[in-house]
Amino acid sequence: MITAAETCDFINNVVCKPENVNSLFEFGNFGSSDISRTEILILLAAIIPVVLMFFGLRKKSVVPGRLQSVIESIFTFVKDEIALGVIGRGGEKFTPYLISVFMFILVGNLFEVTPLINFPVTSRMALPLFLSLVTYVIFLFVGIRTEGIKYFTNLLWPPGVPVALKPLVGAIELVSVLLVRPFSLAVRLFANLVAGHVMLSLLLASAYFFVVQPGVGEYIISKAPVGLAWFTLGLAIYGFELIVSILQAYIFTLLSAVYIQTSLHPEH
Amino acid sequence: MESAYALIGYGLAAIGPGIGIGLIAGNAVQAMARQPEAAGMVRTTMFLGIAFTEALALIGFVLFFLVG
Repeated sequence: MITAAETCDFINNVVCKPENVNSLFEFGNFGSSDISRTEILILLAAIIPVVLMFFGLRKKSVVPGRLQSVIESIFTFVKDEIALGVIGRGGEKFTPYLISVFMFILVGNLFEVTPLINFPVTSRMALPLFLSLVTYVIFLFVGIRTEGIKYFTNLLWPPGVPVALKPLVGAIELVSVLLVRPFSLAVRLFANLVAGHVMLSLLLASAYFFVVQPGVGEYIISKAPVGLAWFTLGLAIYGFELIVSILQAYIFTLLSAVYIQTSLHPEH
Repeated sequence: MESAYALIGYGLAAIGPGIGIGLIAGNAVQAMARQPEAAGMVRTTMFLGIAFTEALALIGFVLFFLVG
């Protein structure tokens, strides 16, 4: 984004955009020997929750230590609020999946506000898309197992739809459940993190561009306040992004639970 | 010039979800003030509603990057 602004033709282009937007959707080469930064961070995001869980719950003391109480509160939050609160009866079975997704996305998102890393792994489309496809497969599988093949007819035509409306309702439900659901689940996480990352990098880099490297000498006085103002706003957004990354992990897990619930208890 | 249109399109796409999220949050605050014991349930439902509404603005944001 920043390198693109340097090579941008300001006279002909109204909006400057990065040279290659597709790099947001690339993942790296599987099977090749070079490992990208994204892959290392994804591996870290998978390992850190396991390590935290292991050391937090190794000694199950009655009076919990600091780490144990944090891990236990996260665990009970996901179990009670999301798994049992949303799915209800039969929700215990999905607690392991929901808690692993929550911890993985949480750590991946928090890389955005970790100093010296500052890169959310979930801002690569491959990762949220894969996670949402896992949820998609789970709720379709659960639906087929509870209702059999009738799951799809109930999905397309909710009970009580008049015959005349069936083609219209069927088309709407087909698109909204089977296409928009996984897509919006992935895009929600991806776009939130990309927006936050772009905003943070632009605002925090403005201090460098306006104050440290302002160009010709006489501009320093007029440019430095602008840079400092943007930098201050960037620090405020930094705190906001901390909330956003926790909230998005919660929302992804919550929506996964809601989709599983609609398949598990179709009468609601 | 196309990217300017994409930018305008993203701005238009943000209007509806903005109003919607405002309505959801306002009504949730009202519900919590009237019935504080139901605050937990209201909060979960509020986040659900916000997540569904927000998706439209986010799709506009992604399309701005793809088209613009």
